[in-house]
Amino acid sequence: MPRRLLIDLPVRNEWSNIELVRTAILNCFAAVFNDLDSCRTVATVISELLENAIKYGNWERQSAHLLHLAITGEDGQVTVSVEHPVEPTSQDVLRLRDTLAWLATFARPEDAYRARLNQFAEAPPELGISRLGLVRIAYEGNCVLQANLEGETLRVSAQMAQ
Amino acid sequence: MVLPLASDGLTIEPVDDRNDGTAIRLVWKGRSSARNPGELLVPYFQGVFDWAVRSGRVTVEMHFERMEHFNSSTVGALIYLIQDARGRQVPMVFVYDQKLKWQKLSFDAMRVFVKSDGLLQMRSV
Repeated sequence: MPRRLLIDLPVRNEWSNIELVRTAILNCFAAVFNDLDSCRTVATVISELLENAIKYGNWERQSAHLLHLAITGEDGQVTVSVEHPVEPTSQDVLRLRDTLAWLATFARPEDAYRARLNQFAEAPPELGISRLGLVRIAYEGNCVLQANLEGETLRVSAQMAQ
Repeated sequence: MVLPLASDGLTIEPVDDRNDGTAIRLVWKGRSSARNPGELLVPYFQGVFDWAVRSGRVTVEMHFERMEHFNSSTVGALIYLIQDARGRQVPMVFVYDQKLKWQKLSFDAMRVFVKSDGLLQMRSV
């Protein structure tokens, strides 16, 4: 029987929920799939995307307090997407697009990650702002990343080939 | 004397099992997933590095084999600590479990910070 795992989850935008969701998803994947290393990788990708959503989302509107996590897992492929409200013209959205464009200039995500670390070797990042999350997802998750903006909602997707 | 650190799922325990005064082992356990882990780690390790300098620049050996997870902000904090220790001429060793894919990927990439000064070593087990 083919194994398929679908998760569609609204998540409150509280930092403590990231670890709750990461652990829950890790356990779900471990229950379905055999490869614990890959399950850990999926959980890391999810937690990094959730962190970015909470850090860079526009949570000022009173009604905006939920982000949306969607996961599709099958043998050989996992897709994760996180949707959250943004200010479309914000520096954070611009920086996200710049990072994805910069990632696309490398043949391999590993090269991009090492290049980013080399940048930090020259000029260490300001504490609390690593700017590593997306590059780490691409590298450790061997992911193709995409961002789609619809109105004031940003969806960042990571497609992982296992 | 170096004290342990415990906060929010992360513990760092000093292990003084050699008694030859050349190194201190700090064993990381659990997870580091705070929004700004540097707020916790940097002051703690400034104390560790101060102690290491006073003790004759003993090697600070960090063991990550029992870590379950850390976020990218923790990687940023580790880079800051590498630079801080190097600036003080404190030798550091990072020990990780290469059988864990996430650790192998994370720490293999950090080898870009290993320089000819010998102040940072990366060791996989």
